[in-house]
Amino acid sequence: MNLVLIGINHRTALLDVREKLWFSEAELPPAIVQLRDQFFSECFIVSTCNRTELYGIVDPQKSSLANESTIQAASDTLITLKSAFPSVRHEHLYQISGCRAAAHLFKVAGGIDSMVIGDIQILNQIKSHYNLASGEQTTGVFLHRLVQTALRVGKRARTETTICEGAVSVGYAAVELANKIFSDLSQKHALLIGAGETGELAAKNLTGRGIASLTIANRTRSKAEDLVKELGGNVVDFDRFEEALRATDVVICSVSSPQYILTPEQLQRVMKARSNAPLLIIDIGVPRNVHPDVNNLENVFLNDIDSLSRIVDQNLQRRKSEIASVNAIVLEELVGMRQWLESLQVHPTITDLRDFFENVRADEVRKHINRFTEQDKELVELLTKRIVNKLLHLPTTNLKNGDGESAEERHKKIHIVRGLFGLQKKDSVGNDNNQDSIE
Amino acid sequence: MKTIIVLLNFLLPILYGAAVWSYAKAFFSNSATAKRIKTPLLSLTIACHLLYIVSRTLLFDHPPITTIYEILSVIAFTTAVAYAAIEFLTKVKSTGYFVLIISFFFQLISTLFIRDLPNVNPVLRSNLLGFHVTSALLGYSAFAISAVYGFLYIMLYHHIKSKQFGVIYDNLPNLEKLERMATVSVISGFVLLTVAIIVGVVWLPMAFEHYSYFDPKLVGTFVIWFMYGIGLLAKQTIGWQGRKIMVLSIVGFAVALLSLTVVNVFLSGFHNFY
Repeated sequence: MNLVLIGINHRTALLDVREKLWFSEAELPPAIVQLRDQFFSECFIVSTCNRTELYGIVDPQKSSLANESTIQAASDTLITLKSAFPSVRHEHLYQISGCRAAAHLFKVAGGIDSMVIGDIQILNQIKSHYNLASGEQTTGVFLHRLVQTALRVGKRARTETTICEGAVSVGYAAVELANKIFSDLSQKHALLIGAGETGELAAKNLTGRGIASLTIANRTRSKAEDLVKELGGNVVDFDRFEEALRATDVVICSVSSPQYILTPEQLQRVMKARSNAPLLIIDIGVPRNVHPDVNNLENVFLNDIDSLSRIVDQNLQRRKSEIASVNAIVLEELVGMRQWLESLQVHPTITDLRDFFENVRADEVRKHINRFTEQDKELVELLTKRIVNKLLHLPTTNLKNGDGESAEERHKKIHIVRGLFGLQKKDSVGNDNNQDSIE
Repeated sequence: MKTIIVLLNFLLPILYGAAVWSYAKAFFSNSATAKRIKTPLLSLTIACHLLYIVSRTLLFDHPPITTIYEILSVIAFTTAVAYAAIEFLTKVKSTGYFVLIISFFFQLISTLFIRDLPNVNPVLRSNLLGFHVTSALLGYSAFAISAVYGFLYIMLYHHIKSKQFGVIYDNLPNLEKLERMATVSVISGFVLLTVAIIVGVVWLPMAFEHYSYFDPKLVGTFVIWFMYGIGLLAKQTIGWQGRKIMVLSIVGFAVALLSLTVVNVFLSGFHNFY
């Protein structure tokens, strides 16, 4: 099976180059149809903000060029399709073939090739872009199996390892922290002081996690009102946010102010008014908006950008330690895929072998059948068929059940059988790439 | 039946040890196998322990509450049962290690020192007494569990406050949940202790000719009951919450443990049987 991968990702090119090769869902169908017609028997493209990858099975009948030249030509077509010359050059692309290409897709699906380790949102894109290709009938039995296996790798990585666990962005770390203090965010209220960009991002994460209500206090009231239109919630005057604090459980501060906007004295009053119910304060302002002594107050949890970054770093570290486990899953699935490929080869070999014997038998019977009486002709037909069947029974069984033998041995055996009986011409699909080592 | 008892007596600390080990392994090293086996292992342990207690009761013709070592085994059992109930109700499965370690040590001590007592004080051969003791022990187990959750709350509270985002931060349930688990345990303990006191007061005149309501253990128990009652009332009315009430749950249990020990060791009354 001649699988090739031509791709660009965050490792080989910067965003301004990558985006030149990004395919929208509308652009994908004509592109894959053209690529299929020119080079491949099957192909599909997966395209996200971090990568564009073309997977295809080279069809020797469509391209008279050598394998490498075909890959080069397909790369050129890919770039031309997006008119991305000269921004995208060949050195931005990687070209991988055989098992290594399959392994690459599995690693992408398992989240260990992502920009942020464990980010497997790409699974949805793989699925939908494959379905697009499938709708255009540019995929077949092999890519179907490949994508199915990749999706399984993604699922297994998520359930069998902790590669996707823990917040890996500051905004999400704030939500994780809130979840470590409160059991149900849908009953908690949030207050955003300062409608800056970072604050907005953290507030978006909280509303995304279903916080009961969001109140925004900003020096420029109109800006807070604009944000409320987007996120929902209500606005309070900036100088009256202390009142709002009494009914709040999570506070996000991101004001540019030379002095602290929340002091221990102020918080003491607030905590008394709210019967000392736990209060989480996330201070993402620079310089800091909240006096650090506030953390000494009972049931007040103050966290700044540093502590959130620490959570993110630790989670990333932990995700990194899971890479080996995901690699093990990738390897397992690759072995499974290879076994499937081999079983594909055993069966055509048996069919070819039987056809070969049947042809010899039929030829000989045809040549000599007239020597027999009408009565015996049927018997000759039956007898010769039985002899062929008996002769082929053991070799067929041995080919089918290669118990205990390695893939390499099995491969060799099929090769010998095909050579002995001259079955090469009927060779199902090129064997070369199946001999690639699994890395 | 004797063989079953001997075998189970030997097996129980091993089973508790295995359960504690699997809960610890799941908590501290996030082992997938441990996570899968821990709850079934605990269920098996509880089933064996129940069989052990029933067998003892049938063979010796009295509930196993006549010696301190029998009592320890029953406390190990009630603590494990109370924990299993909490795990089942709250679906929080990560805290077992901190509770079951109590059961493990109590059962270990019991296994090492327990003796068979065919002849016991006839006063102790009473079903009403069995009910009294069971509810009292379940009540104290619930208080112990609430103290454990109080302790876990304070640990997590300080980890968040001091920004240590390690194993404790990752694996413990959130503060609100820990507080609720501790509160539910205290309420259950309080109800059970109330039942134990009522049954005890009913049983007392039936069992003894000479008794006094000012017996040290009775007074001690009543003080404990009163203390927890005040705490629960304060939570309801003044709205105490968070760290303060969790500290109280630990202090409450420490006082209860201390008062029971002092009463048992230094003071004597009709309530001492061993």
